Amino acid sequence: MAISLLNPKAEVARAAQALAVNISAAKGIQEVMKSNLGPKGTMKMLVSGAGDIKITKDGNILLHEMQIQHPTASLIARASTAQDDMTGDGTTSTVLLIGELLKQADIYIAEGLHPRLLAEGFDKAKTKALEVLDKIKIPIEINRENLLDVCRTSLRTKVHQTLADVLTEVCVEAVLAIRPKDNKPVDLHMVELMQMQHKTETDSSLIKGLVLDHGSRHPDMPKRLENCYILTCNVSLEYEKSEVNSGFFYKTAEERDKMVLAEREFIDQRVKKVIELKKKICTGTNKTFVIINQKGIDPMSLDQLAKEGIIALRRAKRRNMERLSLACGGTAMNTFDDLSESCLGYAGLVYEHVLGETKFTFVEECKNPQSVTILLKGPNKHSLQQIKDAIRDGLRAINNAIEDKAVIPGAGAFEIAANKELLQWKDTVKGKTRLGVVAYAEALLVIPKILATNSGFDVQETIVKLQEESHTSPEPIGLDLTSGEPISPKDAGIFDNYIVKKQIINSCSVIASNLLLVDEIMRAGMSSLKG
Amino acid sequence: MSSREILTLQFGHYANFVGTHWWNIQETGFEYNTTQPSEIDHSVLFREGRTPKGQVTFTPRLLLVDLKCSLKSLPKQGDLYESAPDSSQLFVEWDGNKVELQKNQKEPKNEFQIDLENPEALPSVSSKKYNLDENVEVWSDYLYSKYHPRTVNIVNEYEHCNEETPFDSYSSGTALWKNEMFEDEFADKIRSYIEECDHFQGFHILTDCTNGFAGLSSACLEHVRDEYDRKSVLVLPTIPAHFPDNDFKNDREQVFSIMNDSTRVINLLMSFNSYRQFGSMFAPLCAATDGWRQPGVPREFYHTQFNHKLPYHSSAILASALDTLTLKYRLKSTTCSLTDLCADLTGNDRKAISASLCMPFSLNSDAELIDCLDQWEGPLYRSITPRCKIGTERVMQHLMLRGIPETRLKKAQNKAGKQKEMAAYKCNSVKEMMEFYLSCTTFATASNVGVLEKAMPVSNPFPEIFDQWIGVNGNVCANPRGESQRVESIPILAGFHSGSEIGEMLESLHTEAKKLKIARFHKFTIEQDEYGESLNDILTLRENYEDSYLV
Ligand SMILES: Nc1ncnc2c1ncn2[C@@H]1O[C@H](COP(=O)(O)OP(=O)(O)OP(=O)(O)O)[C@@H](O)[C@H]1O
Ligand SMILES: [Mg+2]
Repeated sequence: MAISLLNPKAEVARAAQALAVNISAAKGIQEVMKSNLGPKGTMKMLVSGAGDIKITKDGNILLHEMQIQHPTASLIARASTAQDDMTGDGTTSTVLLIGELLKQADIYIAEGLHPRLLAEGFDKAKTKALEVLDKIKIPIEINRENLLDVCRTSLRTKVHQTLADVLTEVCVEAVLAIRPKDNKPVDLHMVELMQMQHKTETDSSLIKGLVLDHGSRHPDMPKRLENCYILTCNVSLEYEKSEVNSGFFYKTAEERDKMVLAEREFIDQRVKKVIELKKKICTGTNKTFVIINQKGIDPMSLDQLAKEGIIALRRAKRRNMERLSLACGGTAMNTFDDLSESCLGYAGLVYEHVLGETKFTFVEECKNPQSVTILLKGPNKHSLQQIKDAIRDGLRAINNAIEDKAVIPGAGAFEIAANKELLQWKDTVKGKTRLGVVAYAEALLVIPKILATNSGFDVQETIVKLQEESHTSPEPIGLDLTSGEPISPKDAGIFDNYIVKKQIINSCSVIASNLLLVDEIMRAGMSSLKG
Repeated sequence: MSSREILTLQFGHYANFVGTHWWNIQETGFEYNTTQPSEIDHSVLFREGRTPKGQVTFTPRLLLVDLKCSLKSLPKQGDLYESAPDSSQLFVEWDGNKVELQKNQKEPKNEFQIDLENPEALPSVSSKKYNLDENVEVWSDYLYSKYHPRTVNIVNEYEHCNEETPFDSYSSGTALWKNEMFEDEFADKIRSYIEECDHFQGFHILTDCTNGFAGLSSACLEHVRDEYDRKSVLVLPTIPAHFPDNDFKNDREQVFSIMNDSTRVINLLMSFNSYRQFGSMFAPLCAATDGWRQPGVPREFYHTQFNHKLPYHSSAILASALDTLTLKYRLKSTTCSLTDLCADLTGNDRKAISASLCMPFSLNSDAELIDCLDQWEGPLYRSITPRCKIGTERVMQHLMLRGIPETRLKKAQNKAGKQKEMAAYKCNSVKEMMEFYLSCTTFATASNVGVLEKAMPVSNPFPEIFDQWIGVNGNVCANPRGESQRVESIPILAGFHSGSEIGEMLESLHTEAKKLKIARFHKFTIEQDEYGESLNDILTLRENYEDSYLV
């Protein structure tokens, strides 16, 4: 703390100045971000001084890439990225809404209204807006169609339509496959994302099984097996010297080798157990055997396994142990003491694919896999990264919908509705706080307004049309970005996540109020320092 | 015997300075003619790979971490596997009017970097005069090696040299590890590297220890210990020989600098405890005497003048020591592994060790080792561990001498003259003679010396820090070296030591750290109790050095 007082930049500006600074910072960051919003927003290609490329339209990613110096702006940025951490979406909207709340507030403050009254109004309006949100939300059944809609809406704001539609299918299939039958929460980690740098983005696909980014390390191991028993384990099959052997007392190379051999006995025993089991259950059948180990397997062990026609993979990801059990069945073994057929999983096909210096192992044709892999393809690093980011968003949108058991009509429908209701309700609010409610209602319109701007429509004209339509229609009304006309988002299948909107409403009014009350916060800060 | 692979992890900007020199030294020493294959087993630290076009590559088995904006002209993925795409050709499928290109100005490259990319200039790179002392700002400015695309990891949350986003506390480092980028992606890169290895033996963790990287490396170390429980981990915490904020110009800057000094002490204490707990052994390194609070006066080496304010210089000194020391387990002929080395030096759980350096090993160009040692004045090597002398009593030590060929040991029987009168004359190898010398100059000390005939390469981009009496081949000459000549290689001696002096180093850290009230340092999320415990733990470690334990 002492330091920040010494720092000239943190010298306490006069309250009014501080407020002005906050407002202009909020406007500034709004200005930067507004072109991103919606499916007609601007795609940004960032090229660094060293030539690194990033392509994105996502608010959260842009905020991470930007170099934000201003403390207020970075506070807003942090609030928005926190929004993303929690729900995976809504970053751009958060920035826009905070900026707009401050812009509206600025008008009233210029007329002499005390910021505290505005903040109170914001708080009241927030509560009301949440009521509207609950009224407007559409309960859904968790089925393919509904999930496709919400995922498609999200993905089309990230990547072009053809690709968005391919990825939508992939994401929904993936989540439906891993979703526990008993309505327990979905663990998105059970969808593995594996990148392969070749072909094009639309070649991305869902593998109903697991893809590992490594292969066998023995030239004689089979590259492809069918009808495979899968042994998943966390048991070291590599010789590790346990004896502490001082460099002061030399051993000849032969002596050492002898010692190594003795120590190896132990590992060999383990390998033998695997081979015994394999022989017992595979001999005389068309069954084959694959072992996937989280620990190491050294060349001697690989050699013995290769002689038996076993595929052996070492150093699998910790998380793949769980995924393998869910994809293939069987249990991940921590010892080989009681190894039996019942510990094993099954896959119809296991094969290796080599790309450059990387090997991939596909474990496919699993019966009823509860862990799956999305195979991402793209010609270069930045396109792969872009679709990886998009898929993450898509998966979270689906998961949010499942947890919410509801969605919200998108395309500005909520904002139009909430604006209408707040303006009707404002008369019940006493005193000047009411102005805060009006400011809040006005600020919400920033979303449909910018959706309109980004699609090249006249803002005022569009908003008037939407408001008129919404007065007469019982259904929520949103903006059709192709025609500029009002539509029913429900009919058009444009849905947003309930939880995302809820978070936006909550965090925006809190942050905006804090920025307005900068004066009091600073004084409180000062006195707590003195005390 | 096949190579026993090691994975190197580098955390932080200064550690990366050291690392860059280290990899440079190794690569400039590669010998491509096979008639005289190198005695060094490069596969211990390097890996063979293949580009998408099928070209064979040989790159450091390395993961490094640095902050945003610290790379300047180096692209994250490097350009070995894929040349950086031409941004004017960039294409995205999206409404054409709605694509915005935001292009930062291209980072300029210095002359050395430009020459590296030019096949015609390449042959003269090793000896050409570059003004690297002035042109090096970040480590990539003098990077000779080419890295694998997965090697470089950039922390987006904090910016290099930006006061608004300081990454200066242990706590921010441990918190950072919990990000997906580390716990998932970085951890997975570690796993991928190890999966490739047939005889993986362990890790080198080369790290900053006075800033947030103290915490990040500690968290990573804990992960590594968890996941690869039986592998050895040598931790090499590095401290710059100079902190720019110590050159304050006014009162305000002075207060700031004092605060920073205190913060650094806390980081050191916390990280040393993690290194002790989860590492196999750790050797704090600094090219100045004091290390903490302020680095203090630079260490001195014979015939060497380095500017301690340039990280480019001081890091070269530490890198030379590391390259030399690790030869212990990197020679094709060696029977010693990293595990063996750790076992030798960490008896009684003395996990902190010190390091020393004699650079260049000053041998007159016309002299033999036997005379050189006979006439040597003062200590053979200087400590490069802060606040730590290298003792001569009850020490366990491993040394490595390179660049003294067996032919330079002593004169032949018929020409030996006075040399024959010396007891050392009976020694028949450099190793034997060095061990004999050490046994005469120490008490109750066990010294193991390794040797490599080939000297250490110090051509470009190694800094020119040797005085005019050092000849092109690194020996001390009677006549000054010509203006246009530069030293190409040097003999060098370096050591790892374990003795009671390390206890004093730990004691001094404890004394400094104890003065600080952790509650007053808001950037640390460390409770009073936890801090007290760390203070105790470092004292406990200190006690391991107390009883005069005999070898
Ligand atoms: N097809 C569509 N027609 C009209 N509006 C749409 C359509 N698809 C999405 N929207 C609207 O676009 C907005 C979301 O845009 P976008 O995803 O770019 O920003 P965000 O969610 O606020 O932030 P983030 O960048 O984190 O995703 C929502 O208000 C949504 O209702
Ligand atoms: Mg979105």
